Amino acid sequence: MSDTALPASAPVSASRAGPAFRFSVAETAKHLILVLGSLVVLLPFYVMVSYSFKSPAEIMQNMGGFFGAQELFRDDYCVKLGRDLADCMVTPVIYNYTTAFQKAPLLRYLFNGLVVTISIFVIQVLVALPCAYALAKLRFWGREAVFGLVLFCLLIPVHAIALPLYIMLAKLGLTNSYAALVIPWTISVFGIFLMRQFFMTVPDNLIDAARMDGMREFSIIWNVMLPTAIPALLAFAIFSVVAHWNDYFWPRIVITGDRSLFTPPLGLREFKGDADGDNFGPMMATATIIVTPLIVAFLIAQRRFIEGITLSGMK
Amino acid sequence: MTAIALKAIEKSFGSTRVLDGIDLSIADGEFLTLVGPSGCGKSTLLRILAGLEAPTSGIVEIDGRIVNDIRPASRNLAMVFQSYALYPHLSVAQNMMTPLKLRDLSFAGRLPLVGPLLAREAYRSILARVEDTAQILKIDHLLDRKPGQLSGGQRQRAALGRAMVREPIAFLMDEPLSNLDAALRIHMRAELAELHRSLKSTFVYVTHDQAEALTMSDRMAVMMDGQILQLGAPEEIYNNPVDIRVAEFVGAPKINLLPGTLDSAGHARFGDMVLTRVTDGGDAGPVTSGPVTIGLRPEHLALCDSGAPQSLSGRVVHKENLGADVYLHLAVQDGAHRIVVRTTPREGRTASLGRTLHVRRLEDQAMVFGPNGNRLGLSGVAGRTVAEVA
Amino acid sequence: MRSGGAHWWFVGPALFLMVVILLMPILMAGALSFTSYSLGNPGAAFVGFDNYEKIFTRSTYAKMFGATFRYVFVVVPLSVGLGLGAALLINSTKRFGDLYKTIYFLPVMAALIAMAIVWEFALHPTVGIVNSTLERGCGTFLEGWSWFARGCERGFPLWLTDRDYAIWTVAFIGVWQGFGFNMVLYLAGLTSVPRELYHAAEMDGAKSAWDRFRLVTWPMLGPTTVFVVTISFIRSFQVFDTVEAFYPQGGGPSKSVYVMMFAIYEKAIQQNLMGIGAAITVVFLAFVMFLTLVQRWLVEKRVHYS
Repeated sequence: MSDTALPASAPVSASRAGPAFRFSVAETAKHLILVLGSLVVLLPFYVMVSYSFKSPAEIMQNMGGFFGAQELFRDDYCVKLGRDLADCMVTPVIYNYTTAFQKAPLLRYLFNGLVVTISIFVIQVLVALPCAYALAKLRFWGREAVFGLVLFCLLIPVHAIALPLYIMLAKLGLTNSYAALVIPWTISVFGIFLMRQFFMTVPDNLIDAARMDGMREFSIIWNVMLPTAIPALLAFAIFSVVAHWNDYFWPRIVITGDRSLFTPPLGLREFKGDADGDNFGPMMATATIIVTPLIVAFLIAQRRFIEGITLSGMK
Repeated sequence: MTAIALKAIEKSFGSTRVLDGIDLSIADGEFLTLVGPSGCGKSTLLRILAGLEAPTSGIVEIDGRIVNDIRPASRNLAMVFQSYALYPHLSVAQNMMTPLKLRDLSFAGRLPLVGPLLAREAYRSILARVEDTAQILKIDHLLDRKPGQLSGGQRQRAALGRAMVREPIAFLMDEPLSNLDAALRIHMRAELAELHRSLKSTFVYVTHDQAEALTMSDRMAVMMDGQILQLGAPEEIYNNPVDIRVAEFVGAPKINLLPGTLDSAGHARFGDMVLTRVTDGGDAGPVTSGPVTIGLRPEHLALCDSGAPQSLSGRVVHKENLGADVYLHLAVQDGAHRIVVRTTPREGRTASLGRTLHVRRLEDQAMVFGPNGNRLGLSGVAGRTVAEVA
Repeated sequence: MRSGGAHWWFVGPALFLMVVILLMPILMAGALSFTSYSLGNPGAAFVGFDNYEKIFTRSTYAKMFGATFRYVFVVVPLSVGLGLGAALLINSTKRFGDLYKTIYFLPVMAALIAMAIVWEFALHPTVGIVNSTLERGCGTFLEGWSWFARGCERGFPLWLTDRDYAIWTVAFIGVWQGFGFNMVLYLAGLTSVPRELYHAAEMDGAKSAWDRFRLVTWPMLGPTTVFVVTISFIRSFQVFDTVEAFYPQGGGPSKSVYVMMFAIYEKAIQQNLMGIGAAITVVFLAFVMFLTLVQRWLVEKRVHYS
């Protein structure tokens, strides 16, 4: 449990601080543990990126360090097509990444992922924001009941009711469509709850002033409430986009067969399904491509991301 | 006997210097107040004494032992925090037991559930002491409550109780009354002073409120800009401030400060008002003529008839009725300066706004400060020539 | 304020979607769980409690509960414990705290399905980096550890395909993925602990780090802990991605990793046995809702200090 509790200013640490780089057993031990943990955490990321650089032989024999030797190797598939042997010699890293895009319509998957996550977020906001506003700032008959329902629905994880949702969509003939990917997520009870809590803190005076200026309730939502809610909305956006970009379970259920509707996780899974020895490299390249956008966004805007992901923690 | 000594304490945070060579010794059983405006370093000094902060240089001694390298937990000092810092998950009784448990029980005895069984005797004596203390503070009926269920005043007592149970070398209090409402604050002043008398223990008390310092302490140290400007008994500080900043800080309403001049004979004057005694310059050597500041407390002035010698006249611009006293704010010298005069309710009643009144200085009451803020002494000899000069 | 009826335009869409997307499915699941319904076959028969009886008597489902609980009761304590440990360590170091925080949070951001595939690689019995690294330790002092010596002699475990190791390996990946999330919640909780309480503890004579932890840190993190534990429970109950990636058919070696979400998927989607799938859904929902209610109750009762 270390010295967590010890205030940084306590003389115990301060009086001994002396030179900035003084060796301390406790501090070193802490870093040792944290570094060890980091290695375990980073291991699969290392494997993923490293394999996406290497040739099949290097992967199989576990050689070549992180980048691989990048020696040319023979692309058997190309040879099978009857091309000249000299044309079929490829650099591993280029081969892996081009194959990732050629063997499966990876761009299409990425596009689908983008369409789905953005549609989900936009609809969630369109539905949740007015409802949250009404629950927070309007007084009407049945408001408590509606809020009670929201609180109850917070108990329901959507993944858990996937089966009846699937039956409903199948009955409507909507499986294998963008609609199937988006519809179950259009209602974010959590979003309503979050936005309501946020709107509660907006002073009534602001809304009354807007009414005095002649604004209709509808324009109050979009012109007054929305701008004040930007920070909360941004956090919610990150929360929503991360969840749905990475979601595998739901697309797996409603998209069967039609590759043109695959989201990135489904595409990767498909790749794995028919992976033989030669395709480890391209598969890791695909995985890297799918994981990279969010990781990069996270590294750029860490604070916002952590805020957004842990949003569910504030209550 | 000296209980605590602080020697040449300096403290800097980065390039900002918070404490600038503080020397202070605190006698056993004394109630010493560190008072000053916010940012003067008083809380830092208290925290250095507690050990929560390390001095950049200087020595802290408790009972003749240098404790610089001894951690707060081992210094046997108790502290009452501004926010009380009660453990919110523990009842008042458990809060008060905590320091005793940590001191008197072994690791095993402090374990939850089994602890009370292993160290039954020790537990019983701890509980008895907590109950005794609670009775003194009149919070024995609150022992089972959590801090969240208490009022501000009750929390204050619980925090005091936690400090009292272990009979420390000294009590350190960091603005303990500042979170209470005005009426309760005044009540608690009396109660704390009483507690100090009955405990006969050393109190080191930090506050920004000069009234608290004046009412409770045996001695008070007025601090400003990381230095102690003056250390002494409250009466001494109030009646005989050595520095213009001390004079200004202590006393409410504030002392009247008027720009005066010093003539070659050593008489200080402001308009028609002339000090009959000659300034002697004190340590600063012989006095030369030049600008000075004359300090007159509101109670050093009295109403008089017009035309009385050495009087000032001014228009009443504001009236503060405190019941027992009425303070009149006068604009003198055509509104160039304002002075506050204390009057009796009877006198005050007749002074309506806009009227012109005359005030004179009471005998022997005035302070003169040099251009650098130092107090200039007044010799006992009255200059006979004054009347002619005037 | 005014009752112009505008509010129903605001609440209406959300209300409609809540009822259709969240409430109706629950009722449907409840109703279907008493039938032998399957998609495409008209005429579902009412079978009473047959489906539930199967769930609570057949060995397949015993394995399902076994795998689910084994997974949950490994992942929850470990990911909460490691999350707390990491948060405390990071909070107490003077340097590189942000760097560790970033690293530990990476798995939370990465698509689990992608990382599952990578883990499968890393844990591959012959070419995987884990076993090949372990083999390098052979002949060193590590052989003093009997488990390690056995690994050197007869080969290290197959991890994902060994029935003795499979569920623990999958659980390990769950911990790997989830503890960073808990760590971040704990770090947020730690920043809200008043500094003065630590000072008070120090003045009260709390000398060891353990005393301070017991007296201040742990109690003040109470609300965070309740939340972290519940959310870890709910998330680990819902494990699916890794299991499906590793064992597309059948739920692992001798069904040792046959977790509930996978069972629902297999029975209902793959085998079109909607009745039994619905029954598992109902049981699953009961678990999750019970846990959330316990959490809400705890938040309101016990850890409410002020």
